[in-house]
Amino acid sequence: MAKNVLLIDDSSTMRKIISRSLRQAGLDFGEIYEAGDGLEALTLLENEKVDIVLSDINMPNMNGIEFLREKGNRPAIKDIPVFMISTETGDDIIGEAKTLGAIGALKKPFTPEKVSEVLGPLI
Amino acid sequence: MNSFAEISDKLIESTIEIFTSMVMMDISSAGESVEITRTLKKSITGTVGLAGTHKGVLAVHFPNEVALAVTSNFLGMDIGEINEDVQDAIGEVANMLGGNLKTILSDRGRDIQLSLPSTICGDEYTFSSQAESDRIVLPFHSPSGIFYVEVELEG
Repeated sequence: MAKNVLLIDDSSTMRKIISRSLRQAGLDFGEIYEAGDGLEALTLLENEKVDIVLSDINMPNMNGIEFLREKGNRPAIKDIPVFMISTETGDDIIGEAKTLGAIGALKKPFTPEKVSEVLGPLI
Repeated sequence: MNSFAEISDKLIESTIEIFTSMVMMDISSAGESVEITRTLKKSITGTVGLAGTHKGVLAVHFPNEVALAVTSNFLGMDIGEINEDVQDAIGEVANMLGGNLKTILSDRGRDIQLSLPSTICGDEYTFSSQAESDRIVLPFHSPSGIFYVEVELEG
């Protein structure tokens, strides 16, 4: 069954690019939901059926690390997998994200081929 | 600490990679660091600040016609005026370049913090630099004209 995806990024351009890359990669997904920061994402996760989250790190209001921490405290949504897509791919930050439950990370910039290779097995 | 020559080479590589893979636009380096006027006309500038072990700013300066072409390519649709989409796209170019600059300066991640991107645009504005900073301004050719990537780091 096709999975529903939530994209979290404060850049509407980047949300469109990731969405386009998912389509170009030929991945079989259901709905694509969008949120501009971690706070919006938490509300959306509580109200929609989302199977996987693709999240930026550097965002206003609630960044990707804070989102992972807060999501982990909410039993109803804590097990939804989160994959980081960010310019922030330093070992310390990605290490912290993985400690908080992130299942992987993809660095911006990326190609549709890279999206397919990395996210294909997850979606 | 990387030398400015090393930073220049890696930034050129990063800029071309971002435009090739994300903007879907072929660009090329237009040579070594140049001096540009501090007063920009009919342009848009995206900036990201760096704090921590390296302090400074990364800026990308696009004449309006280049910014429109970049955004149109980025989004896969024609954009005819400087609007929120253009500001968002140029901010994201600065953001990705800022992330790459951070990786060039430090591969760990916690010792340098990036600000959120911001943009400045208008018929005429001045982009001031810090007197104490080292600065490089790298020119690039795009199909729509020249644009610049600037890095200032406190010495």
